[in-house]
Amino acid sequence: MVGKIRIAAALAAVTLALGLQAFAQDSMNHDGMKHEGQAQTLETGTFHGKVHSTSGRATIYQEEGGKLILRLTNFKTSNGPDVHVILVAAKDADDDANFLKSDTQRVELGKLKGNEGDQNYEVPAGTDLSRFQTVSIYCERFNANFGAAPLEKF
Amino acid sequence: MNEQISSWFLRRKWLLVAAGLPILIAAWWAFRPEKLWINQKVNEAAPFVSTGDPQPLYTGRLQGRAHPTSGRATIYKSGDGRQYLRLTDFATSNGPDVHVVLAQSTDQNLKQDIVKGQLDSVELGPLKGNMGDQNYDLSGSVDLGKYNAVVIYCERFHAVFGFANLEQF
Repeated sequence: MVGKIRIAAALAAVTLALGLQAFAQDSMNHDGMKHEGQAQTLETGTFHGKVHSTSGRATIYQEEGGKLILRLTNFKTSNGPDVHVILVAAKDADDDANFLKSDTQRVELGKLKGNEGDQNYEVPAGTDLSRFQTVSIYCERFNANFGAAPLEKF
Repeated sequence: MNEQISSWFLRRKWLLVAAGLPILIAAWWAFRPEKLWINQKVNEAAPFVSTGDPQPLYTGRLQGRAHPTSGRATIYKSGDGRQYLRLTDFATSNGPDVHVVLAQSTDQNLKQDIVKGQLDSVELGPLKGNMGDQNYDLSGSVDLGKYNAVVIYCERFHAVFGFANLEQF
C-alpha cells in the first residue's frame, strides 16, 4: 500500500516537473515570437490620385532584422495593365506624372498585387528613404503615375 | 460585273480582318480594357505579429496656427482596449494654460488663430510639455469620427497654437 502511494507520488512529481518545464518552454517561445514579430513604423503617408482615383495609406516598417517593408492599407486604385509599385526620388508626384520623361529616379518594389486591399512589398536593401520619399502606383506600359503617397516621418 | 465587285469585296473583307485582328489584339494587350470591370482584391496580413501591441487607429501631422507647432499626433488602441493620443517629434511654443483637446476638423474656428466664443472640443488634459513625446488618455466615450482633429489650445487666450487633422491609419 505504502509502496503504491510512493509510486503514485513519484509519478505525480515527474508529471508536475514535466508540466512546469513545458510551461516554461511555452512562455519562452511566446516571448521569442513576440520579439521576432516586432516591427518599427518609420514613415507613413496617404495616397492622392484623381485621374485613376487612388486612395489609402502607405507605411514603411522596419523588421527587427533591418528589412524594410512597405505596407498598403485601405488601399484602392483602378485596375490597369502592367501596374507596379515604385519609390521615386521626389517629395511628391502629380497625377499622370511621367517619371521616364522627367528622368526621376525609381526603385522597383514589384508588380501591384491587387488594385484593392492590404498588401506588403519588400523594399530592396540599401534603399535610401531620405531620397526616395514618395510611393507611386505606376503604369509601366504607359509611363503614367496612377497615384502617389508622399511619406513623412511617423 | 456585279459578281466581280462582290468577290473583290469578299477578298478585301478578308484582308481587312487579317490586318485588323493583330491591331485589335495589340490594342487589347496594351489597354486591357476588361480590367476596368475586374477588381483584384488582396488581403495580406501585417508583416509582423502585433496582437498585443498598441495599434495606431488615426494619425496626422501637426501644423502651426498662432504659434509654430510641429510633430505627429497618433491615436492608439492598446491591447486592453484603452485608447490614447500620443504626440511624437512634438514641438510648440510654451504658454499659459495650454491644453490638448479634440475638435472637429471642419470647425471654422480652426481656420483662425484666435477662437471667437467657445471651441466645441473634448478636453484631454493640460499640455505636459511643449516639446517631446507624450501620451494623453482618451475616455472611451469620445466619438473620433466626429472629433477628428487634435488641437493644442490656449484656454486663457482662446488661441489655437496648432492642430492636426486625423486620418485613418
